[in-house]
Order: sequence, then structure tokens, then C-alpha cells
Amino acid sequence: MPSEEYETEATELLETYDFLMKYIVIGEAGSGKSCLLHHFTHNSFKDHSQHTIGVEFSSRTVKLGEKRIKLQLWDTAGQERFRSVTRSYYRGAAGALLVYDITNRDSFTNLSRWLTDARALASPHLVCVLVGNKADKDDEREVEWAEASRWAAENDVHFLEASSLTGDNVEAPFLLAARSILLSIESGALDPEKAGSGVSYGDRALRRVYSSSRLSFGSLSQTRKKGTVKLKLIDTYCLGPCNAYPYICYTLPLHSFASYHLLAVK
Amino acid sequence: MERKLAQGSHQFLEALGEVDQKLEELQRHVAAMHASCDEAETQLKLTNEASAMLLERAGSLSEERQEVENKKSIVTLFLNRFTLNEEEVEAMTSRDVPIGQRFFQAMDKTERIRTDCRVLMAGRGWTNASRYRLDIMASTSSNLEQGYEKIFRWCSYEFRQMGRDMQVEVEDTMREAIPIRSEALTVLSQVRQATLMSSFLTALTRGGPSGLPRPIELHAHDPMRYVGDMLAWVHQAIAAEREFLESLFGLQADGRMVGSVRKFHEKSEEEDWIRELMDLAVGKLCVPLKIRVQQTIRSQESSIISYKIANLLQFYMITMRRTIGEAAVLSTTLNEITEVAYKAFYDAIETQGRALLRATLDLDDPSLAPPLAILDHAQILREVMNVYESSLLGDEGEEEQTAGFRRILDVTVDPAVEFFTSNSEEKKRLRPRWDREVYVLNCLSYLQSVLEPFPFTTQKLNTLQQVVDTKVLHLTEEHSKNIMADAGIQLIAETCEKHDGSEPMSRIPVTLPAQLQTALRNFSLWLSGLEVVQSPRLSQLTAQRLHIKIHQAALERMARSYQLICEQVKKPENKYEAASTLLGSERPFGQVNLLWQIFGLEGDSSKNQ
Repeated sequence: MPSEEYETEATELLETYDFLMKYIVIGEAGSGKSCLLHHFTHNSFKDHSQHTIGVEFSSRTVKLGEKRIKLQLWDTAGQERFRSVTRSYYRGAAGALLVYDITNRDSFTNLSRWLTDARALASPHLVCVLVGNKADKDDEREVEWAEASRWAAENDVHFLEASSLTGDNVEAPFLLAARSILLSIESGALDPEKAGSGVSYGDRALRRVYSSSRLSFGSLSQTRKKGTVKLKLIDTYCLGPCNAYPYICYTLPLHSFASYHLLAVK
Repeated sequence: MERKLAQGSHQFLEALGEVDQKLEELQRHVAAMHASCDEAETQLKLTNEASAMLLERAGSLSEERQEVENKKSIVTLFLNRFTLNEEEVEAMTSRDVPIGQRFFQAMDKTERIRTDCRVLMAGRGWTNASRYRLDIMASTSSNLEQGYEKIFRWCSYEFRQMGRDMQVEVEDTMREAIPIRSEALTVLSQVRQATLMSSFLTALTRGGPSGLPRPIELHAHDPMRYVGDMLAWVHQAIAAEREFLESLFGLQADGRMVGSVRKFHEKSEEEDWIRELMDLAVGKLCVPLKIRVQQTIRSQESSIISYKIANLLQFYMITMRRTIGEAAVLSTTLNEITEVAYKAFYDAIETQGRALLRATLDLDDPSLAPPLAILDHAQILREVMNVYESSLLGDEGEEEQTAGFRRILDVTVDPAVEFFTSNSEEKKRLRPRWDREVYVLNCLSYLQSVLEPFPFTTQKLNTLQQVVDTKVLHLTEEHSKNIMADAGIQLIAETCEKHDGSEPMSRIPVTLPAQLQTALRNFSLWLSGLEVVQSPRLSQLTAQRLHIKIHQAALERMARSYQLICEQVKKPENKYEAASTLLGSERPFGQVNLLWQIFGLEGDSSKNQ
């Protein structure tokens, strides 16, 4: 994604959203989970990354079609000693990013353990995306794309390769998971109204629900536009031809004068 | 004819007279008309004059009118600038107009009026200025007051509504309204407290939709999971709450991750608000959390689990301190329960230590290996050390690492040492043949081997090593005496050492040549025995290293003693006949050098000769 587009997104972080989703990022230590997240939230590579301690949190709002989705992202430590801590964070996650390092075979072979944990501890509708990280190091590759893809298919998870260094495909896994979750919301399998599902409605979605159609949105924005036009009119009235046509001004009622100028302006 | 002519003339005259009459009349008419015309002209002139005045008047009037209109426009402008129109007043005060753009515009305008008013009236020269100013200020302030009142009601209501959802989000209107009323925030805070509380209880007892993920309390039997799940839930709630508050106050998230340290520089009022609201909202969770964690801690029998819980709590305590500050209620609560957990753990291991001291040794067990009680104790210690090691973040210095574990080592190792030293004394008294020294050394080296893999035990290991060293010294002493006795040269060696030259040694009963001969034969026999290589007693030592060390030290002493014997025997004043023959009759033929070789101590032989 080009950076300009990202910039505009970043400034809109505080805006409304339709859904809020909780993700958890898991995988062996050193597979680049924090870097992947960092690239996703900051759009830059995180140099000299240390091992994550416990769990860390970040968030970002993404756009998927017409929907704005706020992602609350929980980055976990891959080290064994934090296992007992990180396991508690699976609860209430709607999506899981299962990250391995394509240049490290061990990080791939241990995946099933992570997946088992995730399936056991998280909600039954957990959407998993397998991410082969460090795709830029193709010459050091120890896990073939086809093999990982097969594993993903066998275990019913999505799969893609990404690079936190170059930023290739960094957004894709997050969006992929979001799309799957949206689909299961649409199919009714997942109910954002219920606590602990890992998904909830944002204010925007609520408004949409109550107002029967999206027209209310349109009308809302229209009133705002009217406001700005009004402001313009007042400006012209003060600075405009008051002095040039004083008699006409006084004889005409104010509103018709305004409409006259509206025409003039048009 | 004349008459006719006269008659005709007369007729002419008559006719002309008539004409003349008519003309006269006409002239009169003309004169009248003329007069009339003159009159009309005068009249006209007059009128003209009058109308000129009128025109002038009209002109001035119209000028006046324009002036008035100008004034009017100025006044309108002034009024527009300095007063609120009805619509705006309505927007601000009426309950019918919803809070929105209109309301805020009116509020902004009121504020602007008040500022302008202050500026304007500060200038001099306006006599009525202060009166106007007071009027305007009075009316605007009452309007403002009503506006604030209105937005306060609105905020309170909205907060009540929005606070109910677990995940909340903020719209622009709300964001603009916030700086206005702190009372409304109190309402918000109360609602958030209640909401978080009920969601926490739901997560504890009901779990997710249709019970999945399972309620946290379902895992109450697994203390680590139970406590961990609760703390993780709170942690996640904090992150969400923080995001909500940040967007409420319009603060751009600083891109900080929760795990990293938040810097609490007092940068803004909003930051203060956020901190306070956070504290209040999350603080409510402390009560149920604390009760549950304490209950869990109390019900633990295993000291390892207690230690794990304490560690977990400490981890979260540090995390929360970084996230919400040290002064926050949750931080202090965590601090408190962490202390409770540590206390429970220390109590547990201290009890264990005391129990160890009370334990007795099996008197009929001839084994010299560390007893089961010690093995169990060490196993617990080992696990505790594993937990501690995994809890280290890696950035602590060695000093810090050691300090963090010193108390545990003191509480566990000291009673163990105490146990096997005091209890073994008792056993030795009752079973004199039982080898206490070897047993104690075995126990000590076992403890050392347990501690060794962990870097933070160095200090304790050093203390243990000192104990071991004294024991080894003691045992070496004993052992060398033993083997000298076994080899049969103990008495002779002792005599040699004590010999003061007052009497030739060959005259002393112990070292009579015949006695010496026997002793040397015995020694020669002993030398060909197995004990030279390895001592049956010392082979009971589990640490092979100690065995070799002690045995070699003893052998060294033996060699020195033999050397002394040789020297004494060879001395002429000791009056041995054929001293070299006497020594040379049995191995090692008086050659100390050879003895060193037999003992496998060649390295030392050259030095010692």
C-alpha cells in the first residue's frame, strides 16, 4: 500500500468504526511477530527488535470495502517461559496470526502446538491466518511455500508469506482475517453483540442499525454542507455589494437578498 | 341718398360702435386675462419657490434616512456581533434542540462575544461603555450557564448510555463537549466502573457466547491459569479503556505499546483526566480480583505453585505500574497481593525447612547417600530456581539476580545443612561405625550440584564451598591417620616427628631396629595392596573429585612421613646399624622418589626431593 494512503488512514484513527476485533499474534520466539505488527501499525521496519516480554498491545483501524474495522492487536512473547502468561490472552480473541520464520524450520515444525493451544483456549470461531515471515530472505529459506500451504490447508487456516522488512503482504493477513470474521458475522455464526466473542459493533454500525438505511448518513453530511454554504453567504453579505446597491438592499427582505446572492454566487 | 348715405353711415357707425364695444370688452377681457396671467405667474413663482424648499427638505430627509439606515446596519452588525439571535439562544437553552453543530456554534459565539466585549470595553472614551458591557456580559453569562447546564445533562445521559457497552467509541460531538463539565465525567466514571465490573464477572462466571471461551472460574482448580486468566482479562480491559479515554479526550495515541514504559510527564489536563478515570474504572475490579487471588494463594499446598503465583503477580504488578502508574489503585492492590503471595511462599518454605529439621535419620540405614528428605527438599529448591530463572528478564545485573534469590536460598539451604550436620551427629553417637564425615560431604556436594547450574547461586555456593573445605581438611587429617595406621608406620612416623635428639632413636622402644623392620615390611605389604590407588572409605564419597583430592593429600603426607623416617634412620646420632640395609630391605628400599612414583605423584616428586 502506498505511504500516502497510509498517512490519511493514520490521521483518521480516532474516527468511527463499524466493528472492533481482537487479534492475537502467536508463534515461536524470533519469528518476527513484533516486527510484523510494528510494520502494520507504524508502516516501518522495527530495527534491533528485542524479545517481547509478556504481551504488548497496539491498535489500528483498517478499511475493508465500506466497513471500517478497528483492530486491537495483542502481540505475545514467543519464548517458552512466557507461555503461561500469553496463554491467558487467547481468550476473547476473534483472530489469530500464526507467525513462523521461513528461514527457520523449527519455527514451522512447532506450529501445530501453537495452533492446538489457540483452538483450545480461544473462542470456537477463531480465525487463524498462517504467516510465513521474513519472505525477503528467500536464499536462506528452509520452509517451502508449497509445504506450508499444504499444512495450512490440512489445518484449515489461511496462509500467506510476508516480509516485515520490505512490508510486502504485511497488511494482507490482518485484512484476510477481518474478512473471514465479517463473513462469519454475516452468516450468523458470530454475534458481535455478545461479550467475549472478540468482536463488537462500533458506534457507526450501531447508528446504521438504528437508522434502517445508510441514507441517514447522507443527510447528516448534507446538513453539514449546508452549514458551510451559509457561512459563505454571510461573508458575501458583509463584504459584498452593500455599498453599491444600497437602495435595493434595503427594499428587499433579507432572505430574498440572500437568495439573490446565492444565484449570483452560483 | 344722403339720407341713405347717412343712414348707411349711421348703420356703419352703429355696427362699428358695436364692434368698438366688443373690442372694448375684448380688451377688458384681455386685461383681465393679463392680470390673471400675472397672478398666475406670481402664483407660479411662489409655488416654484415653495417647491424648491420642499425639494431641499426632501433631499436632506433622504440623506438623513440613509444615515439612519447606515446606523441601522451598524447596529445590526453590532447586535449580530454582540448578541445572540433567537435561534442561537434557543439552540443553547431549549431542550428541544439536540446537541450538535448548532449548539456548539452558539456556545462558541457566546464565548467570542464575551471575549470581544472585554477587549472593546477596555478602550476609553465610551461613556456608556461599562453599562453596555455589563448588560451584554450579564445576558451572555446567563445564556452560557444554561448552555453548560444543557450539555451537562446531555453528557450525563450519553455517558450513561455509552458506558454500558463494553467496547465504546467516541463521536466528535462528545469529544467537543468533554472539556466542559467534570460532573459529567463523574457520571461516566461511575457507569464505566459498573460496566467493567459486570463484564469481568461475566467473564469469570459465564464466559463468552454460549459459554465459549469457557468462564474463567471453570479453571479455578488450576491456580496458575486461574490467576493468569484474570490478570490477562484486566490487562486487556485496561488497554481498551485507555483507547476509549484517549479518543474521548481527543488525544492521539502515542503509538506506545502497553508493555513498554509510559512516561508520566504532567503534560496536559486531559492526561490527568485519563489517568484518574482509568484508575477509577479499573480500581473497582480490584475487590473481586483480590478476593479470588488471595483465596487461591491460601489454598495452595505446594510451595512451587505458590512461588509461581507470586512470580506471575509480580510480573503483572510491574506491567501495570508501567501502564497505569504506581499510584493507581490496581497497582497498589497488585503490590499488596504480590506481597501476600510471597509471604505465603516464604511461609511454606520456612515450614518446610522447620519440618526438615524435625526429621530424623533412619538409624539402621548404613547408606552414606543424602537421605530422601534432602532429595525432596532439593527437588523443590531446583524447581523454584527454575521458575526464578525463567522470571528473569535478562537485563538484571548479577548482583540484582543474586539479591532477588538470596532469601530463598537462605531459607532453603541453611536448614538443609543444619539438618544433615546435626542429625548425623546424633546418628554417629548411636552408630559409631557409620561414617558421618563422608555422609556430610556427600550431602554438601549434592546440594552444590543442585545449585551449580544457576548463576544467581554463586554466593551461596561459595559459602557451601567453605563448609566443604573445612570438612575436607578434617577428613584428610583423619584419612591420612587411618592409612598410616593401616600401613603400620604411624607410630614410627609419629616418633620421628616428635624425636628431639635427646636419645638415639634406635634406643626408643617403638623404633627399635626390629620394630622398624616389621613396620617397614608391613608398609611394603600395604604398598602392594589396593588401597594405594583407592581408599574403600573414600570411595563412598559421591564426588569422585573429593575422593581423589583427599586420598592424594593423605598419600602425600604418607610420603613425607616416610621421607622423615628415612632421614631419621640415616642420621648417625640415631645409631642404627647398617641404616641403608635396614631401609633397603623392603620396598621402596629407602627411595622416597620411588614412593612418589608408586603413589602416582610424580609431578611432586622432583620438587620434593
